Amino acid sequence: MSASQRVLDDVRKAQRPMRFLGASGQLGYGIPTPAFNAGLLRQPDLIGCDMGSIDIGPTYLGKGEMATSPVATRRDLHKVLLGARRVDIPLVIGSAGSAGAAPHLEATLAMIHDIARAEGLHFRMAVIRADMPRALLKQAGREGRMTGMHGMPALTDKDIDDAAHIVGQMGMGPFRRALAEGVDVIVAGRACDTAIFAALPTMLDFPPGICGHMAKIIECASLCCVPGGRDTILATLDHEGFELESMNPVRRATPTSVAAHSLYEQADPYSVREPEGHVDLRDAHYTALDDRRTRVVGARWVPTADPTIKLEGATCIGERAVLLAGAADPRFIAQHAEILPAVAEVVRELVCEGQPQDYTLRFRVYGVNGVRGFAPDGEPTPSEAFIMGECIAPTRERAAEVVRTTKQYLLHHGYPGRLSTAGNLAFPFTPPEVSLGPAYRFNVYHLMHVADPDALFPPGRDKRSVAQGRLYHLFPVTVAHHAQECLVGSLVLGGAERHWR
Amino acid sequence: MRLSDFAEVIRSKNAGPRRLTLDVMFASDADYQRVAQSPALRREAIGLLYRVPPEDVAVIHYPLGRAIKITLPRETAGDPGDRDVYGAQQHAPLLGIEI
Repeated sequence: MSASQRVLDDVRKAQRPMRFLGASGQLGYGIPTPAFNAGLLRQPDLIGCDMGSIDIGPTYLGKGEMATSPVATRRDLHKVLLGARRVDIPLVIGSAGSAGAAPHLEATLAMIHDIARAEGLHFRMAVIRADMPRALLKQAGREGRMTGMHGMPALTDKDIDDAAHIVGQMGMGPFRRALAEGVDVIVAGRACDTAIFAALPTMLDFPPGICGHMAKIIECASLCCVPGGRDTILATLDHEGFELESMNPVRRATPTSVAAHSLYEQADPYSVREPEGHVDLRDAHYTALDDRRTRVVGARWVPTADPTIKLEGATCIGERAVLLAGAADPRFIAQHAEILPAVAEVVRELVCEGQPQDYTLRFRVYGVNGVRGFAPDGEPTPSEAFIMGECIAPTRERAAEVVRTTKQYLLHHGYPGRLSTAGNLAFPFTPPEVSLGPAYRFNVYHLMHVADPDALFPPGRDKRSVAQGRLYHLFPVTVAHHAQECLVGSLVLGGAERHWR
Repeated sequence: MRLSDFAEVIRSKNAGPRRLTLDVMFASDADYQRVAQSPALRREAIGLLYRVPPEDVAVIHYPLGRAIKITLPRETAGDPGDRDVYGAQQHAPLLGIEI
């Protein structure tokens, strides 16, 4: 029997509270072992790990790369996979591989297969893809079902074509379908972090508002505690509320620390928006059970008549190269606002030779306004400054040409009152120019209004249909490893058809 | 007195790539009330400080967390010219606010 079926049957029969382990808010940055192991001893019903976020910027999504290091990611996956299998409970991983598009999911699955093979593990795994078919997005645009998030311009067909990857953020439905089918492990592409934890208890009629509130807190592990941290957290859920306890004894979940967590990375502390509705936290109430455990009640679920899926897409805008240099001459620093554009103009004349400029060149001056973008009036000139020149150009070679030329002319630029005629810059190393590869920007950050959001993450097709252009599917896969032999099967959900290869 | 002299937390972070959210949190209800009632953290003052129109600034009082949340628009995180992809250092202008 699969882990999800076992847990579902057990809770239905015993009508008991459920226990959830939030093992990591960012799988791949390390999961402290003592707290994780302490959590496994508390008879949990599910281990959840969020693996991604949009906060890391557009490049990982666009490039199809993880933000976390492969070594650390594999170590974390190994820990949670072995832990979940040891106590035979579902392991649910959302937003696989940092950004949750196909290459991120594939890289995560490759690690899981590798771990399973090395450890001789056998389990049933559901894979839920989050890549959105472009024709469907264009159709939604034509039907007026696309809304830009927070002032994003209207989405055009060209935006959709230009994006390297476009993912939709799935809600609870696709997870529920997998859990109902019977699985041990779920690996999902881009997903709401709450769905990782809230899907299972809402199948058992625990109140969705309470489940969503609990999920929103424990997806960040022990960040809701004082002191906040990455250690595994345990939530115990009943039909009226839930209790929080960090599995690291030094971390205390207090009513204030837990309430304050509702602020974190959220525009509105009283509401958590999901595809199917929102969690209303206005009547949430937090009570200390003791000095390190808090009980939370009062969240309400408000379903929406207009479900939406949040879309994220990133497009390549060229190749990026940067120049890194310091300065300690007060006259140079004081005049940087005139010097830098003057050098940029010299560079433009040299590298363009009368042709239109085909690149962008920007400077940030750290110590002055590099972080804030503006310096308040009256701030004194700093004694040192760090200058970063950034070029984005059509090719790697062009970007390198621009920053190398910039380096030379900024080094030797003459300005009024100059004393340091041998050079304006201090290079911490040479070459001071670095090619950073392709640059991306978010060109899709939109809500798609859709009557049945779960249908965007449909079950029941195997990898062959992926090859035929159907890009996102749920396909439970039985991972069975015998004597280095890897059998991977795919099962069509809701039907009797099985494929083995 | 400056905000940084008695707030327990003054932080900023993205709330999605198009918004910045600033949290100011206090250790005591008295400190929270003092700032919550002060005009210094109202949308007009914040708009001036961050050079955005006041109508684009949202200020939410959250007594349960002894916190005031401020949400502002930002240039899309990661766009060319961005200075703070996570938005984690945009709290700096708040530090010196006189209460």
